[in-house]
Amino acid sequence: MATVISETTDSRYANWQRTVVARYADRSFVARNRSGLELQPVYSGLDRHGEEAEMPGQYPYTRGIYPIHYQYQPWMDLQIIGYGLPSQTRERMDLLLKEGGSKGYFDREAYNFIFDMPTSMGCDPDHPGVRGSIGDCGISVCKASDYEILLAGKDLAKTTVSMVLNAGSPAMLGLYLAAAKRRGFAFDKLGGNVTNYIWDFFGHSGGTNFSPRGSYRLVADIAAYCAEHVPLWNTLTISEHNICEAGANNVQAVGYAIAAIIAVNEECVSLGIEPESVIPRFGFHVRYGENFFEEIAKTRALRRVYAKVNKERFGCSKSSALQARIHAQTAGSLLTAQQPLNNLVRNAYGALAAVLSGVNGMTINAYDEALGLPTEEAVTLSLRTSQMIAEETGAVHVSDPMGGSFYIEELTDQIERRVFEIIEEIDERGGLIACIESGWIKQQVSASAYQWRQEIESGERTMVGVNKYASDEPTEYKVFQPDPEAARLAIADVERHRAERDDSKCKAALEALRKAGIEVREGRNVGSVMANLVAAADADATLGEMQAVLHEVFGRNK
Amino acid sequence: MHDTKPRPRVLLTKSFIDSHDRAIETIALALRDAAMEVVLIDYEQPEDVVTVALQEDVDVIGISFMSGGQVETTQKIFAELQRRDVADLPVVVGGIIRPFDEPPLREAGVKNIFRGGAPLSEVVATFETLSRTYRGLA
Repeated sequence: MATVISETTDSRYANWQRTVVARYADRSFVARNRSGLELQPVYSGLDRHGEEAEMPGQYPYTRGIYPIHYQYQPWMDLQIIGYGLPSQTRERMDLLLKEGGSKGYFDREAYNFIFDMPTSMGCDPDHPGVRGSIGDCGISVCKASDYEILLAGKDLAKTTVSMVLNAGSPAMLGLYLAAAKRRGFAFDKLGGNVTNYIWDFFGHSGGTNFSPRGSYRLVADIAAYCAEHVPLWNTLTISEHNICEAGANNVQAVGYAIAAIIAVNEECVSLGIEPESVIPRFGFHVRYGENFFEEIAKTRALRRVYAKVNKERFGCSKSSALQARIHAQTAGSLLTAQQPLNNLVRNAYGALAAVLSGVNGMTINAYDEALGLPTEEAVTLSLRTSQMIAEETGAVHVSDPMGGSFYIEELTDQIERRVFEIIEEIDERGGLIACIESGWIKQQVSASAYQWRQEIESGERTMVGVNKYASDEPTEYKVFQPDPEAARLAIADVERHRAERDDSKCKAALEALRKAGIEVREGRNVGSVMANLVAAADADATLGEMQAVLHEVFGRNK
Repeated sequence: MHDTKPRPRVLLTKSFIDSHDRAIETIALALRDAAMEVVLIDYEQPEDVVTVALQEDVDVIGISFMSGGQVETTQKIFAELQRRDVADLPVVVGGIIRPFDEPPLREAGVKNIFRGGAPLSEVVATFETLSRTYRGLA
């Protein structure tokens, strides 16, 4: 293999080579380009300090968490899916599958469900004041039996289910697990994730949530329960994406994302949970789109800081507790209502930055999302964008192709330094939860969002089609219109469900949940809230009923 | 002397179940920097918006939408304005407003619609004009 490194036995390159042989046997990852030139799976050399460069798959994972990345395991395409009733979303799932989407790792099917806002916040369809939002921007789900429609006929042991939602996350996981239990699937075979955005007080998740301390306690409860009973389940998505979308710049967003991990880890430690037992099931969601090279550098810095913090601050040593797994999403807030087709190109650049950063999963937004819920055509084009990068551009032939670039490496180091400064400042202010409670975090993010907007106003920052190259021509475009009947049907369905269930059994399960909640709030039996959510969901309690109990015990943010 | 240049008082609001606060927070800061008094709340019931608007004596209501409820919520707010005898209190909406939302919103009486990318200067000028008109100063 072509390299300037002397292959002594203890060199990073030699270690990498041994790992590749051990892990992938004699499989070759050498590709050829159009001109017939042989491409090595990784290029390396001396770093800017004259030292032997870190290799992909080596601590602190700046260059990626695998020795060989896409050549062995391509990223997982996870288009966001969900609208209306479970039956309507199911129709779209079947379409996506036919188009070659929904591909998970190792031949699994994968779905990335988004829920309507009432569901996302833990409200049933008949909750006062939410009617206008039912089924509009996501699926309406409030009971375990809804999953029997959504996932009818699917082998849940071979389906990865990703659930994107806010305050309703803990109770939603209860519904899914209860549905899986009823269908006879063993919990240790279930794979997927719940974003569990109850950690997010940065502005993206907006409305109702638990109290900040209650939220972080619940995160620990879910993590502890799943570590024991649903070991393949990813219990927490720390979303750098959300923090950016709320208005933070890249450095702030990586800093706050790491601060959130620190707060969760500290919560676990305070409850006697071994961090290393739960951290491997945490992951990141990162935003791509603002600045091509900065996106790549921030990803590399995030992986490095995460590894260092978990090792040095929390004493982790297992590689799975040091490796940041990243789901990429292109930037929603950069999508413009003006000249909407421009967004196709924006999304492609964002997605390419993600691929060059070495990510594990990908959501490419639909170009028409600034106009409304995406059309089927737009969703398909997003999938095609990913397929073009994967199968036409050749970007996948070499792992960490940007490694060693003077620019990228310097930017990575700079971002790392500034991220550690932010972490230090948050520590000095008493930790992240104290910073949320004081309003400091929200103020930082809002100020950054406002500054960005002012740059657009002044023309200092260009948005093509918005503050430059704008056109007055009215744009004709198709917009997806959700079913106006969905609200009526969802409300009728939950009313029928309440009338048909065994009420005394359901009430008893909710009372058991309340008691478990009080115990966990006081720091005992951590993991029992999640266990009781599964039991309550199995006793036909609805999402909103479970949420009301959790709010009573863990408090509300507002 | 009669004050002919009182600061506009504005209520900005968003549903307790909606997400993505970025736009409404940005608008709040822009209006503040234009010397307006801004009240920023989440509402649970659409009717609550009118209660707060009257308690705070505002002269414009701005409602932000990201993920649903555009038409139904706005219609309920207008019905409540009428019921409480303040039907002339101006209402503007902003955010994700789809083409099919627009006719019923206009019909309900919405004065202006701001989508993503609308210049802040335009938003500020609209709130100022609506405030002055409502107070009979224009």
